[in-house]
Amino acid sequence: MSPEVRLPVRPRRFGRINRIGLWTLYRREIRRDLAFQIDSLWGPVVSNLLFLAVFGLAATNGSMGGDTATLIDFVAPGLVTFAIVSRSFELSAASLLFDKLEGVIADVLQPPIGPLERLVALAAAAVSIGLLGGSILAVITHFFVDMVPAAPIALLVFAVLSALMLGLAGMIGGLWARRWEHFSMLTTYFVIPASYLSGMFYPLDALPGFARALTLLNPIFYAIDGVRYGFTGSAQASLATGLLYLLAMNVVLGTVVYTLFRRGWRLKQ
Amino acid sequence: MRRPAGPAYGGAPFGNGSIELMQVTAPRHRRVGPINWIGLWTLYHKEVWRFVKVSTQTVVAPVVTSLLFLAIFSLALGRSVQQIGGVSFAEFLAPGLVMMSMVQNSFANTSSSLVIAKVQGSIVDLLMPPLSPGEIVLAFAFGGLTRGLAVGLAAVSGMSLFVPILLHDVGMILFHAVAASLLLAQLGILGGIWAEKFDHIAAVTNFVVTPFAFLSGAFYSVERLPDPWHAIAHANPFFYMIDGFRYGFIGHADGSLPAGVAVLLVANGLLLWLNWHLFSIGYKTRP
Repeated sequence: MSPEVRLPVRPRRFGRINRIGLWTLYRREIRRDLAFQIDSLWGPVVSNLLFLAVFGLAATNGSMGGDTATLIDFVAPGLVTFAIVSRSFELSAASLLFDKLEGVIADVLQPPIGPLERLVALAAAAVSIGLLGGSILAVITHFFVDMVPAAPIALLVFAVLSALMLGLAGMIGGLWARRWEHFSMLTTYFVIPASYLSGMFYPLDALPGFARALTLLNPIFYAIDGVRYGFTGSAQASLATGLLYLLAMNVVLGTVVYTLFRRGWRLKQ
Repeated sequence: MRRPAGPAYGGAPFGNGSIELMQVTAPRHRRVGPINWIGLWTLYHKEVWRFVKVSTQTVVAPVVTSLLFLAIFSLALGRSVQQIGGVSFAEFLAPGLVMMSMVQNSFANTSSSLVIAKVQGSIVDLLMPPLSPGEIVLAFAFGGLTRGLAVGLAAVSGMSLFVPILLHDVGMILFHAVAASLLLAQLGILGGIWAEKFDHIAAVTNFVVTPFAFLSGAFYSVERLPDPWHAIAHANPFFYMIDGFRYGFIGHADGSLPAGVAVLLVANGLLLWLNWHLFSIGYKTRP
């Protein structure tokens, strides 16, 4: 009848990176998003397919007609990019805002998960969900338009960089927003215009000079151009410029988000 | 808590110093005739204030979106589609886009209001007062109609900065604007009655309203569509709204106008009856 020896609960040791915390946060983000998949995953697929249908039908309609196939080939990769970037923006922004509004942000702030780990987990979740949404759309679009990538490596690189960029921007948005109203303002006045007006639907030479110069400053233009190159093998701007621009944007946004997380801007105040 | 002091509430006037016993009389109930005008007006007023208070989201945002659509479609297709229905592509497109944002917002107004009321439990504020099913349906429908018309007016004004807006037949414009917004407001009531969660109503919006609105001939002339699409378009009630509305502006219709007017009137009547019936049996609104 020896008395049961109860060991005191020891703090878990971990090295420089809290792998369990990182993985748990990542998994939570993914599972939370997929819980709303009817709205978050299939809704965008349907609306993007509608865009494709409308463009196809409107182009056959023209008094000149003829170039429907090339127009659809041009628009489809743009829609896939839009699906990727809008989903990753929504995931990271909605996640932070939801946690703040419901008061469960403490569950993320209290455990031993540092600002960098939080950033990495959220960014990885945003990229995964963005790529998932984009892949589903690409596969379904393949029934109507040829979507076999011509340059798979370029496609992957640009898709990941664009998803990451908007995922990081979404974190800033999510930190800044205080109400759901702010969140929908960000989508309506920032993400959608920036994407729609960035060569998603029309070639660059359809624009007058001034608008063209503005478009060339828009990072989402390079995201769409790079992904389009990955699918079709032809780009409108220099790929190297696009790659550098996207990398630079990611570094800048990543630094900003890291600083904000470390200071606890609108999280710990 | 401060209460209004007065004989009806049995309270003493403030600052009197002495306590007086006052004769307590119960508040009398208000008499309501066949129609509860105050209730109808109050509910309508509440429905309108709901969207006016957040008008950047409910009026400005849809206008911005439809202007974006105008820009991208004109840029992408303006060169290959030069003449359509006797006018330029942008002139053809503008009325359709206005109608699309009107119907989407009328639907959103009533459906979101009902679902929020159900999810948050404030639906009792609707069921307890002496409001008849017909009064509830009408107040909601007129609220949605008001939002639709507000969005439509704002969108037309926004577009007139970029595209010449022709006015061929103002009567047809007004009829189709009102009939279509009312129809979608009523569909929103139906969706709101049925939905139990926000996901449900998002699904109806994503998989029913948006596809119907997009494939209704706002972006192309239905006459020139290849065959299966041609028949499908004519079976879509949204086609008649957009076609008739656009006729009012540009004077060209793809389908038959009397048929469109009849479809809209019949559909509105049927939905009014259905919503009235569902509210009176308390389907999914009363526990």
